[in-house]
Amino acid sequence: MAGDTEVRPSDAATRTPGRGGDRSPRTRARREKIFAYGMLTPTLAVVGLLTAYPIYVAINLSFRGGEIADLQNLGRYPLTLANYVEVITDPELLADIWRSLVYTVGVLAPAFAIGLGLALLLNRTFPGRRIVRPLALLPWAVPGVVVSAAFSWMLDGSFGVINYLLRSVGLIEQNVAWLANSSTAMTAVIIPTVWKFYPFFTIVLVAALQAIPHDLYEAARIDGARSWQQFRHVTWPALRAPAALAIVITGVGVFREFDFIFPLTGGGPDNATRTLAVRIYNEAFEFFSFGVSAALGVVTMFIAGALLLAANRAIGQGVR
Amino acid sequence: MVTVPTAVPPTRGRRAPRERRRRPPVTRGQWWLLALSGAVLLVLLFPVYWMIMTSLVPSRELLTSSPPLVPPLDTANVDAYGAVLESRPVGRWMWNSTLVTLGTAIISLVVSTLGGYSLSRFRTRAQQVMGFTLLFSRMLPGTLLIIPVFVIFASVGMINNLWSVILVNVAATVPFTTWLMKSFVDGVPFEIEEAAMIDGCGRLRALGQVVLPLLRPGLATTFTYACILAWGDFLFARTLMPNPNDWTITVGIASFIGEFSVDWGGLMAAGIMSMVPMLVLFFFLEPFLVKGMASGSVKG
Repeated sequence: MAGDTEVRPSDAATRTPGRGGDRSPRTRARREKIFAYGMLTPTLAVVGLLTAYPIYVAINLSFRGGEIADLQNLGRYPLTLANYVEVITDPELLADIWRSLVYTVGVLAPAFAIGLGLALLLNRTFPGRRIVRPLALLPWAVPGVVVSAAFSWMLDGSFGVINYLLRSVGLIEQNVAWLANSSTAMTAVIIPTVWKFYPFFTIVLVAALQAIPHDLYEAARIDGARSWQQFRHVTWPALRAPAALAIVITGVGVFREFDFIFPLTGGGPDNATRTLAVRIYNEAFEFFSFGVSAALGVVTMFIAGALLLAANRAIGQGVR
Repeated sequence: MVTVPTAVPPTRGRRAPRERRRRPPVTRGQWWLLALSGAVLLVLLFPVYWMIMTSLVPSRELLTSSPPLVPPLDTANVDAYGAVLESRPVGRWMWNSTLVTLGTAIISLVVSTLGGYSLSRFRTRAQQVMGFTLLFSRMLPGTLLIIPVFVIFASVGMINNLWSVILVNVAATVPFTTWLMKSFVDGVPFEIEEAAMIDGCGRLRALGQVVLPLLRPGLATTFTYACILAWGDFLFARTLMPNPNDWTITVGIASFIGEFSVDWGGLMAAGIMSMVPMLVLFFFLEPFLVKGMASGSVKG
């Protein structure tokens, strides 16, 4: 960590003169400060213009009544809580939240398990590892839409290869219409999402594993630790913090994921896969209820924030 | 002159024999590990295999409840690729995607290098704000942001303009990549720039000539991350680019689905084509990616 590398005004004295003449340490420090903020300006501009401002517009939109057609002139519409009343009194809201949670946990648990197992495997030395590693991480580089398309074909009720494979090994007797059946649709949208997200865990965990000093294992072996004990007392403590961070970051991402569910099911059948992210989209671009959609988005933001804080506390590591 | 303290690499002549002596023979356990990873890859990469399979075998042979698991050699062909290229502006879509991806990656690279350097070298409140911004901006549903973003770009007449997609993608990558770059700059000792600045370099020149070369793994990570994100974007491009000629490849691919009959061979052929650029990038930059994620996630 370079946390202690403060700006050192002392080098002003040793600077060669010429560039702007001689300066007192104080002017130098002020110039440094301007420089520091100057370099941060592009970041702040991008985030401010395309994140902070849209949030402001969304919040503004969520408080406007009436059928909002011209979004450019929000000021003309009265301020009201009607959208929030509509969202909160809708009995479907709880179901949407529940589905978002089921989806998030349903993706995180298997993705983390696969990611961890793979990281432990890829951290060992064996011939061909250099080819295995990029291949194992490859799903991360495949566009989400392509992932969805491939899985919608593989999960097809009549011609899907997944049905064929499951039938061949005797796990199912008859084809299942995975995406069209409301009891299996959630599982069917979780599978491709897991496929897309496990590499992120692998990357983070391999990286963390490589940072563990080798002597720790040697010491553990001398103390007679078996491989499980080595994992528990040496490996896992080193993985905890990066794992927690990766889970929280991915979890927040999955909670509002859209690119897998929407192309696969559009939120159906019978709303079985309608998470908050899908509902927000539907309200805006199918029913053109922009105000309701925005209110729903603000509610989602608060739920995600609350979950983030809860996860942070539960993990006890603190995401800094 | 600027002196960069680095470990002195041993001379080639001396190093080679030592390495040869050091490399232990492959044990039986390691062959087992290879076999195990082969089996794991077989399962994990099956979807990719099936896409290739679907793109090569005529649909009528796959539209059965017991499709062949190995491509039948006599009927497999690449006709689906030709048909897709002829019937849809795939080249155009790929080109649009390339522009969006390169634009996003380059702008993200510049913005987050400057931002990351500033956050690492100057300790201010901004650092904490940035960490929070990262998580906060990831919390926002893209589907929520897209309405205001649409409004903003519509009001300045930038719908069907690739720049709007580039800018939104930059906004999506920059919080995370700035954070990554900060931890990479943390890894470069300040003394190096100090020495350069004593020698008369300005800060910006010290950054460009001394720090930047040492940041190569970080730049590669940021570049890869931004490329993967921008190439895979669907929501932003779909909303901001209503005109089919301006679509990116992901929007184009999505348009195959949802019609009455899906041309699976064509769809998978387009899917494979869309994967190729990312695969090439991934194979070259993957080693940096692991390193980059390490410093990004472990240090926080």
